[in-house]
Amino acid sequence: MSITYLEAIREAQARALRDDPRVFIYGQDVGEFGGAFKATKNLAREYPGRVLDAPISEDAIVGLAVGAAIEGMRPIIEMQFADFSTVGFNQIVNQAATLFWRTQVPCPITVRLPFGGTSGSGPFHSQSLEAIYAHYPGVVVLTPATVEDAYSLLLAAVAIDDPVIFCEHKLLYYHLKAEKLPTEALPIGKARIHREGRDLTIVTYSAMVHEAAAAATELATEGWEIEVVDLRSVKPLDTDTVVASVARTGRLLCVGEAWPWGGVTAEVIARVTAEGYGLLDAPPQRLNAKDTPVPYHPNLWAAHRPTARSIAAAARNLLRT
Amino acid sequence: MLPTVSEPPAGEVGALREAHLGAFRFMLRARLLDDKFAALYRAGKIHGGVFLGRGQEALSVAVGISLVKTDVFAPLIRDGAGRLAFGEPMLDAIRTYLGSALGSMRGRDGNVHRGRPHAGLLPMISHLGAMISVVNGMLLARQLKGISGTVGAACIGEGATSTGSFHEALNQAAVEKLPLVLVVANNQYAYSTPNARQFACADLADRAAGYGVAAHSVDGTDLTDCLATVGAAVAGARAGGGPQLVVANLLRLCGHGEHDDASYVASALKKSGLGRDCLKIAEDILLREQWADAAEIAVWRSAALREIEDHVAQVQREPAPDPFAEAWTALSSQHLSEGQVQ
Amino acid sequence: MPSIPIIMPQLGESIAEAAVINFLVQPGDRIEAGQDLIEVETNKASMTVTAPCGGRVESFSVQLNESYAVGSVLGQIETTAAEAAQFGVDVPPPKTGDTEQLSRSTSATGSGVLPTIRGLPVPANASGASYLSPRLKARMHELGLSAADLAGIAGSGAAGRVTVEDFEKFMAQLDQQKLSKASSMRVAVADAMRRSWTRPIATVGLPVVLDPVLAHRKTCQPKPGPALYALRALALALAENSAVAGRLVGMNIVHPSSIDVGFAVEAEDGVLVPVIRNADKKPLSELVGRYDELVELARQRKLPVDATGGSVATVTNFGTFGLVWATPIPLPEQTLVLGLGAGRKMPHWDEAQGQFVPVMEADLTLSFDHRVLDGGAAGRLLQRIAALMQQPEKL
Repeated sequence: MSITYLEAIREAQARALRDDPRVFIYGQDVGEFGGAFKATKNLAREYPGRVLDAPISEDAIVGLAVGAAIEGMRPIIEMQFADFSTVGFNQIVNQAATLFWRTQVPCPITVRLPFGGTSGSGPFHSQSLEAIYAHYPGVVVLTPATVEDAYSLLLAAVAIDDPVIFCEHKLLYYHLKAEKLPTEALPIGKARIHREGRDLTIVTYSAMVHEAAAAATELATEGWEIEVVDLRSVKPLDTDTVVASVARTGRLLCVGEAWPWGGVTAEVIARVTAEGYGLLDAPPQRLNAKDTPVPYHPNLWAAHRPTARSIAAAARNLLRT
Repeated sequence: MLPTVSEPPAGEVGALREAHLGAFRFMLRARLLDDKFAALYRAGKIHGGVFLGRGQEALSVAVGISLVKTDVFAPLIRDGAGRLAFGEPMLDAIRTYLGSALGSMRGRDGNVHRGRPHAGLLPMISHLGAMISVVNGMLLARQLKGISGTVGAACIGEGATSTGSFHEALNQAAVEKLPLVLVVANNQYAYSTPNARQFACADLADRAAGYGVAAHSVDGTDLTDCLATVGAAVAGARAGGGPQLVVANLLRLCGHGEHDDASYVASALKKSGLGRDCLKIAEDILLREQWADAAEIAVWRSAALREIEDHVAQVQREPAPDPFAEAWTALSSQHLSEGQVQ
Repeated sequence: MPSIPIIMPQLGESIAEAAVINFLVQPGDRIEAGQDLIEVETNKASMTVTAPCGGRVESFSVQLNESYAVGSVLGQIETTAAEAAQFGVDVPPPKTGDTEQLSRSTSATGSGVLPTIRGLPVPANASGASYLSPRLKARMHELGLSAADLAGIAGSGAAGRVTVEDFEKFMAQLDQQKLSKASSMRVAVADAMRRSWTRPIATVGLPVVLDPVLAHRKTCQPKPGPALYALRALALALAENSAVAGRLVGMNIVHPSSIDVGFAVEAEDGVLVPVIRNADKKPLSELVGRYDELVELARQRKLPVDATGGSVATVTNFGTFGLVWATPIPLPEQTLVLGLGAGRKMPHWDEAQGQFVPVMEADLTLSFDHRVLDGGAAGRLLQRIAALMQQPEKL
């Protein structure tokens, strides 16, 4: 049997509902319909009264989750698309993210953001928003790249006492498969060496891990050994693992599907430059989406985001420097 | 509710009289505490703004007094009277204004941004409309846990009715049939913006029908009306009547904050019925009904002043927050704080 | 008759494939554009695939209950050219495979530096190959090395840069050779020369007849050495125009505040430069004693603090080693160094006597920071020094 990234997310929610009576799911179309992507398929039937359809009110959806968290519940919010979460942005960053710091009352909510580009989705169903949420104190931002992490990190997200922005990549939903669900996992805040190498480190997360791995495979035919670091969680960011990898390779390329300005790739480079300047054998580089909205047409879309091809090209340039 | 300065008068008393007497004393204490904050502000003792409830005490106390300890209360910035009536210790207010490390907000947040969520008292964020759905969440959680009979009151001004959060949350409460009492203090100005630039409907209470919730209108200067109307709304919500929208008409008898001279308030409004001082009206009711005499009121006043002075003196001796002792993490899971990943 | 493919459409956000669950028409059936042809099911919903144009179903190439990727050909429709043109199916759909090419061409712009001189023995600090990465610098710092120490490494990196691997290989090779510890004097000289060499240094030379100097010194007690005559002549020349000894810092020439002149004295494993202060202010006769004293103190390496540093130029008498010509390097904080070669008997044509006569001649050299002065100015300064040395009694 095999299980997809999406099924892993559904299974994690099913397990959270089964194991913890404080968990409930709230979001648009998550009930009987099972969610726009079917991430909550059959859950409303299996856990009656605990998987609730919400009106199209992202602000009120998050606000309600905060209130429920104050009452000791552990709500899981599904934003239909990450792009729509900006309507609830205020509640996430000003309400949920400040609650514990202001009052010492924890705010254990998990906000699931189906994010990232897929062909033909256009400007408002494709965004990658991990950086703007990570900018705010008081939130944890997770970006699983594998079926195993989708499952274990979502369970970890529900278990911790802080607001979690859970960025699940839509492109991985059906495409990524694993043999079975994991029984153990790295904790939140630990990066993972996805592929070992000695010539160059690519630091990335979520769907770009797979593009980077494909680029590494291509470069291996040219004799280069590329190390790929999967951040898993962009906040907290595992600086130690990143710096240790750069210490091995001397070269750093950061790849993100999000826009470049002030993003996760910039943060990684800032940290490596500050903490590991003497480890660098070349100026660190980053590769992001272009600084425009995400385009609709497949030709434009494929050129807008980093791909295995463009990652390999950037890596080649860096290896030559 | 709270133990007050003195016990209620002995013997059989009518419920109405008891309610008025209790409410009046909270209003009086809140007014005198506000006066003290204004004085401290002018003496340079308070960092940041000071926001008073002058002219809104009757409505505010009616909300606080109609709720019970297990209810939820999300006050607005002029709800000093309601907070006292709901049970917020006066010390919380003074400590938060003066930034005491011992206050509920520990110097991390100030002035009116205070509360104790686990005691049902929500600390507002500045985007006031955003508090309504948080109350909804607490009420929904109680439903999910099988707890019934509690009510959540969220207080906003007419300005917040223009926000998307207001719409989303009121609709949400209606969809879930939550026992929400949404109290709108229409004090004619959102900071300096008059109602004519804020909304275009004849009466904000008319909006209730559009959401499918019950509507209540009340003269916010009249304590008797406030107690009756807010009391009925709270009772309606508690009885399962779903969300209740209460719109009170009144006038803010001060600036938006103490930094604001409110010169924009039309003099015609000040001279109208809305411009009456609800505290004076309440006092007149007590005297007219012979529920209290001037001497008793003077005793309450001096007792409240003494209470306030004692608290302020105490808090001024309390330690300020120490930046070197701060944890400087916004996460409850401290091991996940940036820079502390093991 | 054109044959038009029936394509598995993009059925929703991130849907990759769908299963065929029902054929709604059969091969041979007449169909109209937009007519439902095949029912398919994704894990989100079931929906139908419609005809892109009217015509006749030619064939289906898929099986019931099997899944097919988005974009797969499910069958063919036989249609007329007019019909195909009307519904715009007579042009091939854009190939998304082209996008790879597209992203490649856009990302290729502004590509990095290409290796042009790979493998050539380029000094590590020479232009074009001077990039030392932070990692290499950190390693060099750890070992107390400077860029000049890497001069012998042929870099294998981009533009001939020395990579960490090159460097480590170089260091490993050194371990196989005899190593001795450089003295602190050696290290100090090395440091000064390295710093000085960051500037464009040029040298000019001029023969000078030494006979007047040699004749004059016989009359003196104690006897000044020839270098002291040169030193005094330099000091007087600089007093007339001190700007040539100025240092260039940014957009400014920093003028000397006093004419303090140093002179090189060989000491064990290095060179010391004692300084005579205000050498323009005192006649030669008064300088001799101080000069001899400083030479002695330098050889003993006991120079007082006030006799070192802060000089505007240096005189070096490389003639004492029998050398006739040299290109000394000025100290890093100076613009000029005046050199004096070994004296030689040379035939000079004497017009009055109508014959060659022997004279004692030596070469004067002047090395200078070419940013501050040019060959002409350096030449004029040398000419002035030579002229002053022809009237030693005035020095």
